[in-house]
Amino acid sequence: MTHVRLAHVEVKIPIYEGAARRFIRLPSLSRARVGSADVTRSPGVLWVHALHDLTLSLAEGERVAVIGPNGAGKTTLLRVLAGIYPCSSGIRELSGSVGALLAANMALNSDATGYENIRLVSTLEGWPKDRLKDYIADIEEFTELGEYLGLPLRVYSAGMAARLSFAMATIRAPDILLIDENIGAGDAQFQEKARRRVDQFLGRVKIIVIASHSTELLRSICRKGLLLDGGKMEFFGALDQALALYARIGQRPAAAAR
Amino acid sequence: MIFAQAAKCLGNIGRSFSWAWLDTVCRYRRSKIGPIWETINILFLVGGMTVVSSAVIGGRPAQNLPYIGLGMITWTAISALVNDGTSTFLINASYITGSTMPIDLYIGRTVCKSFITFCHHIVLYVLALIFLPVYFGWLSLFSLVGLALLFINGYWMVGVLAFLSARFRDLEMIVRNLMQVAFFVTPIFWSHTLLVGARRAIVDWNPFFYFLELVRRPLLGELPPFYFYIVVLSMTALGYALLYLVYRRLRPYLPLFV
Repeated sequence: MTHVRLAHVEVKIPIYEGAARRFIRLPSLSRARVGSADVTRSPGVLWVHALHDLTLSLAEGERVAVIGPNGAGKTTLLRVLAGIYPCSSGIRELSGSVGALLAANMALNSDATGYENIRLVSTLEGWPKDRLKDYIADIEEFTELGEYLGLPLRVYSAGMAARLSFAMATIRAPDILLIDENIGAGDAQFQEKARRRVDQFLGRVKIIVIASHSTELLRSICRKGLLLDGGKMEFFGALDQALALYARIGQRPAAAAR
Repeated sequence: MIFAQAAKCLGNIGRSFSWAWLDTVCRYRRSKIGPIWETINILFLVGGMTVVSSAVIGGRPAQNLPYIGLGMITWTAISALVNDGTSTFLINASYITGSTMPIDLYIGRTVCKSFITFCHHIVLYVLALIFLPVYFGWLSLFSLVGLALLFINGYWMVGVLAFLSARFRDLEMIVRNLMQVAFFVTPIFWSHTLLVGARRAIVDWNPFFYFLELVRRPLLGELPPFYFYIVVLSMTALGYALLYLVYRRLRPYLPLFV
């Protein structure tokens, strides 16, 4: 049974400073004005509190949009879900395979061609060899990149790289799919395709969590919304309600939001 | 538990190799003579070192060439492992924070890269076999044992240095400087027989000396003393114990500070 559960999760990200005993005085973090709920100090380390006491439970079939202003903790939350970031305290429970599309670009080598990157990803992720042909055909069809797949990735636009990354990340339909922002880089037609693809394998992908600023995209894929602000979960429920609350946060002056 | 993990890492070496291979191919793509540059570089280095060393220390250049050549080729592999080890996680930081790929893929990528480079350099030895009166016989095969041990040890060296220098950023510079000193205190272009009495400590306590001699001596027709193998095997055991400790301690937090 695929599920995700976070209980009272805190994430603190350390910023180490080695400047304490330098002979030459360089701008150092030691004089940074900190001391709030978001940033604290212990000797030699600044701690950024990226997530505060987050409790969340996702069951099969849920498609969740993560929304919130820049710096709200959306990426951090996805990284915690993916198991990349450790929890400073709290519990993370997860069962099922995870597919994460968190980096803006999954390219492993930007001097290599699209095909070469696909083949390398297939090796690294251990795609079954006998199905590789089907996978490549599927990616060709989905990305519509045509001859660009035979060219080095460094000539791709952000949207083209996003198409390729999305196609590779979703090809094997993981139980839990985590996506950060990057499909927002695709154009309207691509977003429609992405939505159809998500719909198509909804039977196989059991939980989807997407962080994005594209309301349209989120509306077309998700039903639930999770509103983050300042590392805290402000709301988790119907997407429309979450978006309405988010709009209200946007109207508050930035300083008051924290 | 440990064994299962070790088996997984072993299985991932092939994947790392594909990655390192693509890196290498892409590096050559825009160069006219591609891989031959690597070989030419080491040829000039060896030629220069032989001339200088013969003038300063004595002996005929033609006689010194195989000794110094094999010394330089092996040393280049050792120092590549150590130096690239320190930057391994730093250059892969975006994948470490953005994907769920296992951490040993990056370690393997660096080890395989140094191995591929080593293969470019060893071409020089093959050429020397053809054109120069260099020893070749059954004893030569023992250098394969030395080579295997070198890269097996290279794996833990890269791993330990990768973790430590991702956390302690000064380490990369410290290691780079130490390796420069090590180049002179290791008998690469001079013979260890030049050292007598207390000065022998320079080689007796130099771990690199043992790796070097296990590869070089058999190729020159001389079997290394048995205790050399004992020393290297002990380093292997200690090294992997150290890697395990460092992994246990730092692995969960790596994405936070890389």
